[in-house]
Amino acid sequence: MISDEALMLEFQGGSREAFEELFARYREPLFGFFRRRLESQERADDLMQETFLAVIRATSRYQPRALVRTYLYGIALKSLAAERRRERRSDPSPQVDAVDGALDNSLWVRRALEKLDPSEREILMLREYEQLSYSEVADLLRIPVNTVRSRLFRARMALKNHLEPQPSRDREGAKT
Amino acid sequence: MNMHPIEQEELMAYLDGELPVDRAGVAAGHLKHCRECQSLAADLQGVSRRLMEWQVSVGQASGLPVLAAALKERGAKPRKRPRIVWRWVWAAAGAGVVALLAVPSFQLASRRQKMHEIADQIDAVQAPRRKVAEQLTSYMVAQSPMIARTAELTLTTNDFDKARAALEDILKRHSGYLGQLNVNAPPSAGRTLDATLRIPATQRDAAIAEIKKLGRVEAESQTGEEVTAKYVDLEARLSNARNTEQRLTEVLRERTGKLADVLAVEESISRVRGEIEQMEAEKKTLTTRVEFLTLVVRLTEDYHAQLHMAPDSILGRCRNAAIVGYKSMVDGVVAVILFLLSYGPNLLIWAAVLFFPARLAWRKLRRS
Repeated sequence: MISDEALMLEFQGGSREAFEELFARYREPLFGFFRRRLESQERADDLMQETFLAVIRATSRYQPRALVRTYLYGIALKSLAAERRRERRSDPSPQVDAVDGALDNSLWVRRALEKLDPSEREILMLREYEQLSYSEVADLLRIPVNTVRSRLFRARMALKNHLEPQPSRDREGAKT
Repeated sequence: MNMHPIEQEELMAYLDGELPVDRAGVAAGHLKHCRECQSLAADLQGVSRRLMEWQVSVGQASGLPVLAAALKERGAKPRKRPRIVWRWVWAAAGAGVVALLAVPSFQLASRRQKMHEIADQIDAVQAPRRKVAEQLTSYMVAQSPMIARTAELTLTTNDFDKARAALEDILKRHSGYLGQLNVNAPPSAGRTLDATLRIPATQRDAAIAEIKKLGRVEAESQTGEEVTAKYVDLEARLSNARNTEQRLTEVLRERTGKLADVLAVEESISRVRGEIEQMEAEKKTLTTRVEFLTLVVRLTEDYHAQLHMAPDSILGRCRNAAIVGYKSMVDGVVAVILFLLSYGPNLLIWAAVLFFPARLAWRKLRRS
């Protein structure tokens, strides 16, 4: 199978098929990236598209110095930061979608994640959901690998403690 | 005092496949024996499993029309003027969004078709590629308990041959296979069959119920061993070893150094490959133990002693008597010959020695 980097170079050379292949590979992971970090599904979809638009715009300047995966998540992180800034400026209480519409198991996970320190949460999510390596996370967040490792450990231990009160207890908390 | 040769963070990095080779070896060795670290590893893996409960599905909007427009603009404009291209891309993107909002029904149908095409591409491309999917599957497997089951049945049957044939038929119908089979037929006891059968776990209850009907159940036992933790640990170690092998291969490919260093890396690759193969074999064995029930069956035949009431024929008895007589005569002659050969020379010597004194004594006795 052709590597992401080779596809990117082909796209740079004008191959539309190469872009479609990249789109097929990263559409769902990027959507998941935004969906887990934003309340609105529609905005998650918009930002996923904007990430690919940014790739299209920056094609001519692309140089294969880093993995395409890291490159894409780098753009996604910047888009996410801009979106959060925009949210803060425009509306302090954005419209919230009913996430999957029910009190499913993921609710407890989301609540536990919300309790984490933002920097540790981001590292944990990049590792667990985006499956990035420690060095890729370090590159993206511009922090040392050892910092990634120690924060990731702290995040996992904290999350374990937050998750330990099982759903019954959390449900009681939700009622109050 | 800390007695662990690895730090907790290193253990986590080991489970993530992020630990250098030398430390990974230490971590693997320590994890086998240290219950505290096994507990920590289980906690870390548990957190990962819980996180996987939060799955999101991709939205209905594919983004394709907007991107298609952007691509079209990109293809239409000269690439040496990127700033102008950007404007066109944005304009086209905006037009695409407007068009998307006002899209007529026939365009929606076309879009859906394209969506399906792209979804097919995603399925085709992602299946072998995404590490996420692999790990998720692994976690999903690990989430339901994995039980390795063993059962033993002791049966007694009146019709041994029929029961044996039925047993083979049951095995065949339930897609099982024979692990081992021993049949004994002692002269003064019933025949016994000892068999170890492997039956798919899904067919377990039905197969056992049918086998019980083959005779009278003398004893039955079932045991189950949960191997989930063992499986998850094996998966984690396997993943780590594969990552290590990949990294070593990259090191070997990209770096040049002293011959001794290259040989050391090659040796490490060989060792890691051996470990991977060993772990894959363990994983396969573990999976087979879970997927197949091990059923030990002992089938014993009811023994009926045979009583021969009919007398033998006269001719047969005469023949037997003649044979016995002839054999007795031959045995007697042979016994005499053997006696003479054994004691004859001794007797002759004693006869020669005693003959003259005996004759002298006899004559004196007669004279007197």
